[in-house]
Amino acid sequence: MEEKTPLIRVVKNENLSKTKIWCIRLSAFVVAILLGCLIFVICGANPIAAYGEIIKGAIGKSTGIKQTIKIATPLLGAALALGLCFKMKYWNCGAEGQITMGALGAAFFAINFGTKLPSIPLLLLMCVGGVVCGAVWGLIPALFKSRWNTNETLFTLMLNYIAIGIVAWLQGGPWEGKPGSQIVPNFPKAAVLPKVMGIQCGWILIILLVFVMFFYMNFTKQGYEIAVLGESENTARYAGMNVGKVIIRTAAISGGICGLVGFMVASGVNQTIYSGIAGGVGFTAITVAWLAQLNPFAMTVIAFLLAVLSKGSSALQTAMGVPSSVSEIIKGILLLCLLGCEFFINYKMILRSKKEAK
Amino acid sequence: MKKLFSLLMVLVLSLSLVACGAKEDNNTNNTTDEANDTMLVGMVCIGNENAAYDRNFYMAADAAKEILAAKGINVEWKYTYDHPEGDPVANDCVELAEAGAKVVILNSYGMENAMMTVAEDYPDTVFCSLTNEGSSRDELANTVNAFPSIFEGRYLAGVVAGQKLQAMIDAGELDADKAVMGYVGAYTFAEVISGYTSFYLGAKSVCPSVTMMVEFIGSWGDPEKEAAAAQDLIDRGAVLISQHSDSTTPATTAQANGKLHVGYNISMIDVAEDASLISSRIDWTNYFVYVIETVANGGTVDQDYMGYGLANGDVVLTELNEKIAAEGTVEAVEAAKAGIIDGSIKVFDTTTFTVGGVELTSSLVDMTGDFVGDEGYDAVSNGQYNESSFKSAPAFAERIDGITLVNEAY
Repeated sequence: MEEKTPLIRVVKNENLSKTKIWCIRLSAFVVAILLGCLIFVICGANPIAAYGEIIKGAIGKSTGIKQTIKIATPLLGAALALGLCFKMKYWNCGAEGQITMGALGAAFFAINFGTKLPSIPLLLLMCVGGVVCGAVWGLIPALFKSRWNTNETLFTLMLNYIAIGIVAWLQGGPWEGKPGSQIVPNFPKAAVLPKVMGIQCGWILIILLVFVMFFYMNFTKQGYEIAVLGESENTARYAGMNVGKVIIRTAAISGGICGLVGFMVASGVNQTIYSGIAGGVGFTAITVAWLAQLNPFAMTVIAFLLAVLSKGSSALQTAMGVPSSVSEIIKGILLLCLLGCEFFINYKMILRSKKEAK
Repeated sequence: MKKLFSLLMVLVLSLSLVACGAKEDNNTNNTTDEANDTMLVGMVCIGNENAAYDRNFYMAADAAKEILAAKGINVEWKYTYDHPEGDPVANDCVELAEAGAKVVILNSYGMENAMMTVAEDYPDTVFCSLTNEGSSRDELANTVNAFPSIFEGRYLAGVVAGQKLQAMIDAGELDADKAVMGYVGAYTFAEVISGYTSFYLGAKSVCPSVTMMVEFIGSWGDPEKEAAAAQDLIDRGAVLISQHSDSTTPATTAQANGKLHVGYNISMIDVAEDASLISSRIDWTNYFVYVIETVANGGTVDQDYMGYGLANGDVVLTELNEKIAAEGTVEAVEAAKAGIIDGSIKVFDTTTFTVGGVELTSSLVDMTGDFVGDEGYDAVSNGQYNESSFKSAPAFAERIDGITLVNEAY
């Protein structure tokens, strides 16, 4: 008996034109917006006004833009760090912990030398402290991976909780302010990153880092090694690369960048440290890196877009009383659509035509 | 391909319509706001409407709105939820100030640090860091603190608990040495220590044999942890549970175990009608009215709100559960209340308790923010520890005899 053709067939899509790819992405965006409208309607909010508030709140005023950039900065920094690892197909899910450790390294100097050193050397020390702590936290799973081929996804995930736990302990122990409060006092003024155009100056560093990363990934030997290793470990080995060394080096750089982000959020934004200081940025950054297809410039756009949503949704909460959980749903839908549309770029679905059926 | 493009065009067009519509909508909103001349007041909440702690604030906000309306000041409250600390709190402050709030209330201790990173940028907005103490000390005029004298209410709630336990002892239902209370505490923090000590002293004033165990949960509010701590205390022999934590699960746990309970922030009788005797609460209404009225009239809000308690109605008890309360409780509470107000009863009377077996003769209060007691600020005088006499935030942090701490991890 002849086998029946299935109603829908999924076929690998080859040689899709650039215009078509972008059309698919744009329509995914539009679909997400329309689904969002539905959610707003269900919640009893006027979707037109709601989207208006989001945009107005995020980029309508200079203060809004400042807040948006403030949110985008650590997100972009962490995405850049992760992009490096992902390119190598090394699944670093530990940005959250590496940021937390970076904040810890920075806080160590702020707390112990905050009143003893002038601002600039202090900030430099804090920065170095943050980068080193983040790098060490990134290094540990890479060492295990290269030595014993441990699973880096689980390892980095677990290290997140340890980092958060260490800070929670410090916050209630040696670094606690008022006894029993579990709160670390705000850093002295000298330990606070100065503002440039009203936003903590970390954003300039991160923008520079975008270019550095683009150059590093595309035009250096180390970047090439990462790309080759990501395509095939055997090829890399055959080409004479020291696979373990590349993994360790890349993970350390990635962790170091996360540590730098940690320094920025501790010194520039919170001006103190607490266990939740990374605030989920390390996880959101995974999505940012993937949505951007690991391209640093695309990451900039995506991080900014997410920051607009995030800032806009908190404006929405105050302006229209829409619960922030609703904005989280909207954000989730957008991410799902944008990530999901990649399926339609890579594959096409063919409906069983009548001719074939006969 | 053509089809796809036309579909996209339609979508883009409809979206642009949406965007234009939004602009018009906003404009009309703004104008009506100005016309009504309402004053926007923001509140940053640690939890949401499910937490007893936050509900206590909404109640006060609604009451204040009504009182102010009678005075010709129309208030619109805007809330943000579920942000206990850190940058999210700072963002809430910015958001509310940007929305035009002239007063922003922060309802939990842990929020002050974050607020202080942004308060400077909004000098026209008054930020009230409730239950903390750094704002009154800093150089900013627009950051203030407040903490009514809840220890007075805790003492009265203790009297209710002690009355019940003593009645059970007198009736032969409970051995005098088994009169053990359990207390679910947040952190080993002066505010909590002051609270449970005053509660204990209130109970002891009418039930001399009472002792107490305290178990800390390391959170201001966590329904599961609160329930677990309450259960543990009951397993250790507690016959009555009280709490310094934000939810109602200690009450429901006491009810499930057939034990008694004294609550905090709101009446918990509706969730534990056979267990919960009464609750003490801070009534923030007076403070909200004071701050909003002052700001509306262009005045300056005091840096600290000190010395307001039972006498002013800033600290109150919720309704008594007459079904289970001991006979004579109402009279005992009234007498104690009158005594506290006229000064004949001292909550922290140093003749009624000992620390390490000896009477407390000196206890220095930190006034500089370095977390060490300062010379010249000795709270002990005239035979009592004068709580909240130098600053509104509770400072009593002595570990008195008769209270054992089950854990001190937090």
